[in-house]
Amino acid sequence: MSDSPRPRSIRRYGWAILIGVLAVVGILLAVADISAGNRWPNPMAQAIVGPATTSHPASAQTQTFRFDRSRVGDRLIFDFPIGGLGPLSPYQALRAFLTNGAGLVLLALAALVVFPARARSAVERLEARHGSEIALGAGLVIVMLTLAAVTLLRFTLLFLAVVPLVLLVALVAGLFGIACISLALGRLLHRRLRLPNVHPLIAALAGALVVFDLAVIPYAGVFTLAAVAMAGIGLAVVTRFGSAGGWSFVDLDW
Amino acid sequence: MSGQTPLACARVRVLLESYVDQDLARDDPQRAQQVREHLAGCADCRRQHHQAASVPFRLKALTSPPPRESLTADVMKAITPARTRDRRAWTLLAPEAVLASFILWYLSGLDGLGSIASGIAGDLQGLAGWGAGSGSLPSVPPVDVLLLLALIALTAIAAYHLSILIELTPKALPTRRRA
Repeated sequence: MSDSPRPRSIRRYGWAILIGVLAVVGILLAVADISAGNRWPNPMAQAIVGPATTSHPASAQTQTFRFDRSRVGDRLIFDFPIGGLGPLSPYQALRAFLTNGAGLVLLALAALVVFPARARSAVERLEARHGSEIALGAGLVIVMLTLAAVTLLRFTLLFLAVVPLVLLVALVAGLFGIACISLALGRLLHRRLRLPNVHPLIAALAGALVVFDLAVIPYAGVFTLAAVAMAGIGLAVVTRFGSAGGWSFVDLDW
Repeated sequence: MSGQTPLACARVRVLLESYVDQDLARDDPQRAQQVREHLAGCADCRRQHHQAASVPFRLKALTSPPPRESLTADVMKAITPARTRDRRAWTLLAPEAVLASFILWYLSGLDGLGSIASGIAGDLQGLAGWGAGSGSLPSVPPVDVLLLLALIALTAIAAYHLSILIELTPKALPTRRRA
């Protein structure tokens, strides 16, 4: 039986629709996150969506507006219709999407463009049986290992300078891992929603938007993002940044 | 013709292996020439030569290298059910959690971790200043041996745990490229 013309044409634009929906969901969740942040302040969430919004923004005398000359955001703040929660600030939510969301997407895509073979190898291992559980478990262990090692290094003077290097490696591993998880999520959406074949970077873009959406869920978002970042670090380490050979000590045993 | 006494079939068959391996031509070219002449006139020996030069025969004649001492252990390790390693991968979280909780308690919780982070930043600045010649060398804060032992134990267990998780990670598939 052949598909009717309408579903086929909708399917053709499936990726564009999906990306649009994910972007709108991300902005709406950011609005909710900002609004909820006023009632139960969540300092960690402020790193993602910005500071909690007030109905009466600070006066111009106390702030400089070199980067926000139009100050449209101050006029686009609405009181929440149901009592208790903070004001709604769609403009700040859009700003969060265009800064943190775009940053996440760009870094993820850049990692995939620079290391395509390694990303593929890592994603294949993530998609294998128990791949995600192993990545998350390894991420948890690495966080403990890094904290213990950094604390140990803090009590030395000689190796103190190594600490920024350790943190830099952890940051790079996390970014590479999140990029691979984004690609894996995009591939999952492709399979589950039976979307047409598309360039892998488009799939990764959709996956990165899913990660952003998870990160702006009110209150739970910070923990979700932490879990994704940990799984990303774990994936990067257990696959040795997606190297085909993986970890091996054969060369030391001669 | 070489002008020497022709070789008997039995002698040629003894020399066939080294002849096929080209060892005879290298070590004794005259004898190799005699074998070649004999093969040209003797159908029986020629058949033997043909068989000796064929691939399966040559493969059979190869001596296999002695196996590594660790071969049996490696094979047993590879075919051992992963259940034991699976279990160990998750049970190791318990001692790690105990050690991490002890360290957090010892450092007075997250405040202590925060002070360590700020201390690292401050000491790094001090170190940079000392390197630039504009300040004195920062001093290392005193630390309890018990805390150091707990940190080293956590590092060692976490590293061992990580090695188990790496072993559990599925291996990479051979690279395939689309045409």
